[in-house]
Amino acid sequence: MISVTPNALSDSPNKIDLSNMKPEQIALDIKGLNLHYGNKQALQDITMSIPKGQVTAFIGPSGCGKSTLLRCINRMNDLVDICKITGEINLHGENIYGRHVDVAALRRKVGMVFQRPNPFPKSIYENVVYGVRIAGENNRRNLDDIVEKSLKSAALWNEVKDRLHESALGLSGGQQQRLVIARAIAIEPEVLLLDEPTSALDPISTLTIEELINDLKKQFTVVIVTHNMQQAARVSDQTAFMYMGDLIEYSDTNTLFTTPVKKKTEDYITGRYG
Amino acid sequence: MNNWFKSGSPWVWLCAGGVSISLISVLGLLWLIASRGLSYFWPAEIVQFNVLDEHGVKSVVIGEIYDRERIPAQQLAHTQIKLPAGQDTVERLLVKTGNRELVSLDFRWLLVPQITKQSTPEHLVVIERRSNGNFYGVIESLILEGEKVELSQLPELLERVEHFQEQIETLQKTDIGAINYQLERLRLKERKHELDGTLTVELSLSFAKEVNELKTLYSQLEKKLMALRQEIARDQLLVRAMDGQIVTLNFEDILAVTFNNQLTTINKISLFFSQIAGFIVDDPREANTEGGVFPAIFGTVLMVLLMTVIVSPFGVIAAIYLHEYAGNNALTKLLRIAVINLAGVPSIVYGVFGLGFFVYMVGGSLDQLFYSETLPSPTFGTPGVMWSAITLAILTLPVVIVSTEEGLSRIPSAMRHGSLALGATKAETLWRIILPIASPAIMTGIILAIARAAGEVAPLMLVGVVKMAPNLPLDGNFPFLHLDRKFMHLGFHIYDVGFQSPNVEAARPLVYATAFLLITIIVALNMTAVSIRNKLREKYKMLEH
Repeated sequence: MISVTPNALSDSPNKIDLSNMKPEQIALDIKGLNLHYGNKQALQDITMSIPKGQVTAFIGPSGCGKSTLLRCINRMNDLVDICKITGEINLHGENIYGRHVDVAALRRKVGMVFQRPNPFPKSIYENVVYGVRIAGENNRRNLDDIVEKSLKSAALWNEVKDRLHESALGLSGGQQQRLVIARAIAIEPEVLLLDEPTSALDPISTLTIEELINDLKKQFTVVIVTHNMQQAARVSDQTAFMYMGDLIEYSDTNTLFTTPVKKKTEDYITGRYG
Repeated sequence: MNNWFKSGSPWVWLCAGGVSISLISVLGLLWLIASRGLSYFWPAEIVQFNVLDEHGVKSVVIGEIYDRERIPAQQLAHTQIKLPAGQDTVERLLVKTGNRELVSLDFRWLLVPQITKQSTPEHLVVIERRSNGNFYGVIESLILEGEKVELSQLPELLERVEHFQEQIETLQKTDIGAINYQLERLRLKERKHELDGTLTVELSLSFAKEVNELKTLYSQLEKKLMALRQEIARDQLLVRAMDGQIVTLNFEDILAVTFNNQLTTINKISLFFSQIAGFIVDDPREANTEGGVFPAIFGTVLMVLLMTVIVSPFGVIAAIYLHEYAGNNALTKLLRIAVINLAGVPSIVYGVFGLGFFVYMVGGSLDQLFYSETLPSPTFGTPGVMWSAITLAILTLPVVIVSTEEGLSRIPSAMRHGSLALGATKAETLWRIILPIASPAIMTGIILAIARAAGEVAPLMLVGVVKMAPNLPLDGNFPFLHLDRKFMHLGFHIYDVGFQSPNVEAARPLVYATAFLLITIIVALNMTAVSIRNKLREKYKMLEH
């Protein structure tokens, strides 16, 4: 069984009863979500509620559908032609798969950071303000403020403040990933989706990002997909274990890692497969 | 041996060999064209040959040695030349003797065994003239207002004539040209009113008044021109040709007088460069066989630039549609194959298409709609620089489409996803992220398009190129850029000078020089595009994933 640092446990402030949340506590409400890639079913009847202002982690072996589920939340799966989705994901009680949803507006509310850092080949400054400019903000002073605020939130400001107008591609991998996070939070989303944000980084950068995630939950609801169970244990308040497209177990992190209810969960976290 | 094969060395050698062969052929071609072309500008020695021909007739030949070759003795059997035993070839020289008014041919073959004496006297002179080509001979005397004067006044007189010639040229081309242009526009305006039925008496009176004013101006200028003409016709130069005839040359005809045999190396070098400069900036003379090629350079560059302006947006838009928006189905595949095959259509077919569709159909309709006053003489319904640019744009479209598409498909999907995840729509992503990153690939397409278009001649012969265009497509008369005008082109100039001229031998070095210039221009255009591309590449360098 994995040892969970007591620190992380005591950090989760107001422990939430996942099965019995008040509507205002819920950030995302997923109901009966099924996803097919052509004939293959990748997600099977997922139902879960993700609480507001907390870090929720999706764990599970490769190909279990955790990234797919994450991508459903900001409709990135729309880009895959053969992908068919049924069910609902409700954000503020509104189904994001409803008929009149503006996908671009949705993605402004649900930001996403990918596995590999993908800064645009532009300056650091332009990377951060990209989403803001798209949203229509062009006032130089406002943009300057947003850049400073976002880079500070992403713990990158001190490292790059003297070279904001140099290419973002000159940054190290860890810095790039924090820049991408800054870029995502610059448009002030409600939910921030992190898709294995540290899997391409070295341990020190990983640590920086994990600390950052702890800070971010003060402002955003964070959903993180990770391969690394220690990471899930360190940073998350809730953890969902998925296997072969099914949501096997979903509870607060402490419970899931110390007293898993399902056999499959126990097998996975004890390292019997994965 | 087996190990040697396994090591891959033979393939490395093979590849290196292939590269070397291509390199050698490219450099060899360039060297050939450059050396032949540039030697045309080098002031050659003027040689005096004393010749004793097979009939025992003595003569003197003066000229520049152009070429030398060996021919088999059998060819000369009829000339009864006595050759030393064992020698079965005879060397002969091609000599440019000029003096076209005296002998019909500029060139003469001299058999080396028949030359009794060869010398380069310093007083021999080559006179470059406006008509009849070069004159080789000896200056006898200089006539100033009917009086013989010292030869030392020659440079002064030449300068004076040159000064007047410049005045005449501006007068003719700029001032009188502008008046003619305005007269023509007035006539068309009047005709338009007439066709529309809005021509009142007052209007036609005001037109007549304007025309009269212009005509007065015209006759004033004409008088000025005549006066200038008289000025330059004042003095003459008496010269003696190689056969002893005395020829009177009017100064208005003379461009330059050079004592080639008196030149020092430094003089020669400066003359060499001034000749090259003259070739680049002067207008052609003598059915294109003499003078410069400026209108052809101008036409080529203008046409290629117009073509680039037309082909780039269309190619990029088509590629974006094919790659980003068109569904991935059989029709798209068919379209893609069609586009690629379009690149394989012979260029003359595009020329025929351009003539039939653009010139006659589109141009004809444009004329009827907007230029009815000039009919029956066509404005756009006739080959012109715009139709040439459009025809070549279609010809090069596949190149731009294919390389843009290639560039689009090389962009990692992480870039698209990153932008989309920030709330950008597909169009915003395309405009702000994808196109900038794909811009080096687009530039590659444009480079290839320029390279292809600048060297293309065949279709242009049908849709706009002429041997001699009286006006440049760009001048000082409103609207400045005259897209309906015909233009000259270096590629066609090569063909015309090399194969259509009355004096092919004389034109041969000019062909090399023009070819060299064309290559230089294409390389320059390409290098500009390449340097832009490299800058873009540096700017949008992809992550090293």
